[in-house]
Amino acid sequence: MLSRIADSLFWLNRYMERTQSILRVIRSHYIISLDKDAIGSTTWRPILEIFAQLTDSEITQIEAKPDIVLQKILTESTNPNSIKTIVARARENARGVQNHITKELWEAVNSMYHLTNKPYLNQKLSGPEALEVVDQLMRQSVLYAGIADITMPRGMGWDFMKLGKYLERSMETIVITDKQCQLFGYDMQQESDITKWRFLLMSLAGYEVYLKTYQTFRHNNNILHQMLLNEHYPHSVIFSLTRINRYLRDVIKDNESNEKLALIRTFGRLYSKVNYMDPERLETMDSRAFFKELRNELLVFHNQLEKVFFSY
Amino acid sequence: MYDSKAVRKQYASVFANLLQLDTDSLVSKHDIASELFMNQGITFTVYDNDEGIERIFPFDIIPRIITGTEWQQIEQGIAQRLKALNLFLKDVYNEQQIIRDHIIPASLIASCPHYKREVFGIKVPYDIYVHISGIDLIRGNDGVLYVLEDNLRTPSGVSYMLENREVTKRIFPDMLASNNVRRISHYPVLLHEILLELASTQVSNPRVVLLTPGIYNSAYYEHSFLARQMGIDLVEGRDLLVDNHKVYMKTTKGLEQVHVIYRRLDDEYLDPLVFMKNSVLGVPGLIGAYRKGNVAIVNALGNGVADDKAVYAYVPAMIKYYLNEDPILQNVPTYQLSNPEAMHYVFENYRNMVIKNTNQSGGYGMVMGNTISEKEWLRAKVIIENNPRNYIAQPIVQLSTVPCFINGNIEPRHVDLRPYALYGPKGIKLVPGGLTRVALKAGSLVVNSSQGGGSKDTWIVDE
Repeated sequence: MLSRIADSLFWLNRYMERTQSILRVIRSHYIISLDKDAIGSTTWRPILEIFAQLTDSEITQIEAKPDIVLQKILTESTNPNSIKTIVARARENARGVQNHITKELWEAVNSMYHLTNKPYLNQKLSGPEALEVVDQLMRQSVLYAGIADITMPRGMGWDFMKLGKYLERSMETIVITDKQCQLFGYDMQQESDITKWRFLLMSLAGYEVYLKTYQTFRHNNNILHQMLLNEHYPHSVIFSLTRINRYLRDVIKDNESNEKLALIRTFGRLYSKVNYMDPERLETMDSRAFFKELRNELLVFHNQLEKVFFSY
Repeated sequence: MYDSKAVRKQYASVFANLLQLDTDSLVSKHDIASELFMNQGITFTVYDNDEGIERIFPFDIIPRIITGTEWQQIEQGIAQRLKALNLFLKDVYNEQQIIRDHIIPASLIASCPHYKREVFGIKVPYDIYVHISGIDLIRGNDGVLYVLEDNLRTPSGVSYMLENREVTKRIFPDMLASNNVRRISHYPVLLHEILLELASTQVSNPRVVLLTPGIYNSAYYEHSFLARQMGIDLVEGRDLLVDNHKVYMKTTKGLEQVHVIYRRLDDEYLDPLVFMKNSVLGVPGLIGAYRKGNVAIVNALGNGVADDKAVYAYVPAMIKYYLNEDPILQNVPTYQLSNPEAMHYVFENYRNMVIKNTNQSGGYGMVMGNTISEKEWLRAKVIIENNPRNYIAQPIVQLSTVPCFINGNIEPRHVDLRPYALYGPKGIKLVPGGLTRVALKAGSLVVNSSQGGGSKDTWIVDE
């Protein structure tokens, strides 16, 4: 497979995963923010800090105005991380590989792109129909995931798509969990109400899983366990890493580059670090440092992956 | 569709079929066709305010019909012309016998911007230069077919020919089946065979790729369509590299050698080391590999000298010179404006003339004498006088018309025909059909898609 094609498939799926993750966060925050001070923050500041690349004073100006925040994150074309920009980039990648993806998948990306460009979106976002818009976008994005799963042939291209998806997903879980811990001042020993964690759990589609899985009240430890180590939870870091491990093995088989061994080692270290954590001591570890390390190692892994497969 | 008295024989059955349909059902068929094109993304990109807008190429639902007998003449005429043009290219890039024998003036070749000195003397596989061509034909009001233009570089539109037929199958299935229309769907197979045959015979499993300028090119749809139909890789310049005079593509496994390149990129962009230095679309070193014979490039480089609008006038002479035959298809009379007498005559009679820039295509830089205003003409005249080599003039030919479905009515519109010919080691083959381009504006003679033209399905039927 051409490196450029692999690269485009990787990023197509990565962007679409990011879209879904942002939409889920926005949706949860929008709903929860109707109950004041339920998540440790009364405003949209943490969301803007993650997704908008704004200065502190710029955030202060708009953090309490949900309509402006929604426009910024969903439809603003100058925000490099808005849904509109990300979907446009996903479509760009899809266009370049049109003969490597199915017609249905292309149409799914294409129609989502056209939806994000509808002129009425901004007007709706500033009124009571805001949630409807978010839901509509959300439906399109899960439709994409479903169509990919049902129609795409398995093979090299699929492996790269999956690598993009899980790399993005592990990154999102780390970033969003870290943000929530930051709101608690990284003090995991203090007792926190489960309602305070609700935003994180809902943003990562994990609230129900949590209630069903964890029966003790050691919420902090449990939450960190679910986010990092729960193998049955599709947004946990270990879940994504296990999949990356599998798809990486598949694509690396036929590769002959010299950097291949370095890539395997980097990933091995990262995978073991999470896989062999002590689940009992999660709340006592330095979570800020740990998340930072994990993020950096994922970035290193991504750079090496690019070098081995996508350098063209 | 009609001769002077009645419906032409070949149209009779289609006419009878259409009579059974009312305007509403024709409108709905028209809408279905447009939707099919849009949904499948069969679009070209028009740039406006830096934002690319995707448009469909307008499609007229009523097929154009050509009889088997007429087609035979077209087939033979095009094959003859191609053979001569191909011999001309071989000659002009090697011995240049035709210039020494004073059939074509050396100055004409020397002043042609598409004559590429950089590829002089390069041996191409099987001496074939024009693998893929789209020679434009028109029918004048005398009923005779003329060659309007030879497109020997990277002619486009073949995907529309194929897709138009697919759409017709959806909207007029019974009409198509009952008319004995010859099949065209094997075009990609023929093309793929030729591309494979061009690879060095020492390679058992040659790799063929289609080189595209990328997703922003207006014909990108066609590139991806053809690559998909042939099952070959669609590559961009940045996917390829040249090492030790061999071309490789960068894959996830490492480098893999490429043996044949069907390029949809103009000569000038192919290799920044030889042609335009700032081209980022091409592959540095490609011409070196080509010269060594390590890669076949389709069509060959430098073909532009043979479809230059000024060289066009000499094609009948080439046919006589190389083949010792009389041309089967006639040229439209052409005046070289570099000849002062001809220029004088053309300027006297400009109202009946079309004046064309020899270096431009797509209907750009063209003066239609019958519609131009006095003021515009004076301006154009000065430009032409400054550089007469770049202009030719032809009497305006009243293109033939065929019935079209326009805004709920059946109206006549002017058309041309571009059949696609493939030239491989086993000879010249034409798929029976072609792209009929329609000037959708009433009375207009300009059929180019960039100037508001559309297209039609073209049927070759055996009576």
